[in-house]
Amino acid sequence: MTSRYPAIAADITSLFAARNTHAVEVAVLQPADPFLDMAGEDLRRRIFLTESETGKTLCLRPEFTIPVCLDHISSQAGTPRRYSYLGEVFRQRREGGNEFFQAGIEDLGDRDTAAADARSLADAHALLSLVLPGQALTITLGDQTIFEAVLAALGLPRGWRMRLARAFGSAAMLEAALADLANPPRNGQISGPVASLVLDGDLEGLSAHIAGGMEEAGLSASAGRSPADIARRLIEKAELRSVRLSNEAFSALKTFLAIDVPLDGAAQALEAFASGSGLSLGAALENFAARARAIEAHGLPVKKIRYDAAFGRPLDYYTGLVFEIAAENGDRPLAGGGRYDRLLTLLGAKTPIPGVGFSVWLDRIEALREKAP
Amino acid sequence: MITLAIPSKGRLKEQALEVLAKAGLAVNLSGDERKYRARIEGAKNIEVAFLSASEIAGEIGQGAVDLGITGEDLLRESLADWETRAEIVARLGFGNADVVVAVPDIWLDVDSMADLDDVAADFRQRHGRRLRIATKYWRLAQQFFSQKHGIQVYRIVESLGATEGAPAAGLADVIVDITTTGSTLRANHLKVLGDGVVLRSQACLVASRKQRAAADEAVLRDIAAKMTALVR
Repeated sequence: MTSRYPAIAADITSLFAARNTHAVEVAVLQPADPFLDMAGEDLRRRIFLTESETGKTLCLRPEFTIPVCLDHISSQAGTPRRYSYLGEVFRQRREGGNEFFQAGIEDLGDRDTAAADARSLADAHALLSLVLPGQALTITLGDQTIFEAVLAALGLPRGWRMRLARAFGSAAMLEAALADLANPPRNGQISGPVASLVLDGDLEGLSAHIAGGMEEAGLSASAGRSPADIARRLIEKAELRSVRLSNEAFSALKTFLAIDVPLDGAAQALEAFASGSGLSLGAALENFAARARAIEAHGLPVKKIRYDAAFGRPLDYYTGLVFEIAAENGDRPLAGGGRYDRLLTLLGAKTPIPGVGFSVWLDRIEALREKAP
Repeated sequence: MITLAIPSKGRLKEQALEVLAKAGLAVNLSGDERKYRARIEGAKNIEVAFLSASEIAGEIGQGAVDLGITGEDLLRESLADWETRAEIVARLGFGNADVVVAVPDIWLDVDSMADLDDVAADFRQRHGRRLRIATKYWRLAQQFFSQKHGIQVYRIVESLGATEGAPAAGLADVIVDITTTGSTLRANHLKVLGDGVVLRSQACLVASRKQRAAADEAVLRDIAAKMTALVR
C-alpha cells in the first residue's frame, strides 16, 4: 500500500480478511450511466464526468457498491459471496476534499436476510470499534419493508402506496405526499368521448382511442409509454379522484412514523402499534423480530441501537434494512449501510440476487482519531 | 474601462440597441455591421462587445465582461450558483420566453408534475429504463425536477436543436424547452403541464459580481441607473 492510504487501512484490510471477504480491486474510471440510472440525475453535479474518445460518458468512481455489483454480475461468480473494498472515491463537495477514502463490505446472495443484515451491521460496528477504540457510537436503524407493510395493511390503493413508498426517508416529500392524498388537487377534468370510456373503465376501448391519438402524433406505441399504460393510469386516476385518505389511515401513518425506540423493544412497539390500529404486519414484522434477535446474538448493544420508523433512503433500490452509525454527539454518520435487493436486477443480473452492505467514511474516522487524546 | 456585452445578432441585438439608445446610451455602429467591438457615443470609458447571448452569460460568470444583456434562462443555465457571480440589474421587458415542461398531449392522465412523478416511477418498473427528458437546459431541468419536485427517476438527454421533435423521434419521452406562444409545442402534439413552468425568462441587464476600480464601478452604476429608470 502506498503512503496515500490512511494509516488505519492495514488494520481494516486485515479485519476484512478475518471476516471471510474477497478483497476486490475496482477501476477508478467507470461508465457513468449505471450511477446516474441508479441514483438519479441529481448525482450528475456531484460526480466528476469525462468522456472517452468514442463518446462514452465516464466518471471517477463516486462509490463502490455499484461497481462491485457490476463486477459480480459480469464475472458470473457464485453466491453467496462477500466482497470487501478500500479505496478512494471522488465527489464534488462543498465541504471537505473531493477525493477521500471509503471501505466496506457487500454481502451478495445470502437468502437468510435476517442473518445477513445482522452480520453487515456487526461488521460495520466491529470496524469502527477497531479503528476508534473507546469511542461511544450510536446506531440508527430503519426498515423500508415495515413501512410498505403498513401501507399495504391500511388497504391504500396501489398508486398511493407507490407514491408514499417513494417518499420514505424524506420527511418533506412524505409530508407533501400525505397532504396531497388527504386533499387531492383537482385537475385534468376530461370531457368528450374519452370521459365515458374512463367512466366505464373500458380499458380496451380507451387503449384503442389512445393508440389512434399516438399514431396521429407520430409517437411510437412501443418506444415509450404504451396506450395501455396511459389508459390504465387514466382509469386509476379517475377512480381515486373521489377518494380521500381517511382520518384513521392518516393518523395511523403519523403514529407509525413517530415510533422511535431502542431496538430491544422495537418489535413489541410495532406489535402494539399494529394491534392498536387494527392492522396485521405479517411476515415483515416476523423478519424484523428475527433480525433484531440476530443483531443481539452478535453481541451488539441492542439497548443503545435506535429503531426510527421514519428512517429510510429515498432511492428505489433500497428494499429493507437501512442503518447509520455515528460517533455519540457527532452530526455526520461514520458508516452507512442497507439492503438493496432490487439493485442487482436493475443492473442487469438475470436472476434476483439479494444484497446488503455498508460503507465507512475513512476521512471522518481520521478526523476523529486526530481529535482523540 | 467597463465592458458592456450585447447579443451579436438577431432580434435580441436590435432590441438591446433600441433600449440602450432610449436610455441615452446609443451605440455607435459607424456603418460596419460585422464589427465585434463598438463605442457608446460620448462615453469614452465604455467598450461595447458583441457576443452570442449564451457566451455573454459565461463571460459574466468569468468576470471577463462587466455588464451584459442576455436572457435570464441562459444566465441561470450557464452558471452554477449564478447569484454568487452575477446580479440582475434590470429586467428589460423584451425577449420574453418561458422554459416549460411539456409532454405528449395524448398523455391524457398527466396534467401536473405530481402526475409526472407517478409516471416516471412506474415507467422504470414497466420498461426497465428511466423516463427520458430532452432538453438543452439540463441545469434548470435538474433543479426543477430533483430539487423543486423531488423527482429522481428520470434521465436527461441533451438536445441541441429541435427539442420539440424528440418525443416523436423516439429520442425522449418528455421535453423541457423554451416557448413563447406555445404554437410550436401544439404543432408537435405536446402540452405544457399546469405547474410545469420552470422559468419565465426575459432579456436582462446583468452585472458581473467582481471587484473593480471605484471609477469603473461608478460608470457601471450610472449605466444601471439609466436602464433601471427606463424600464421602471
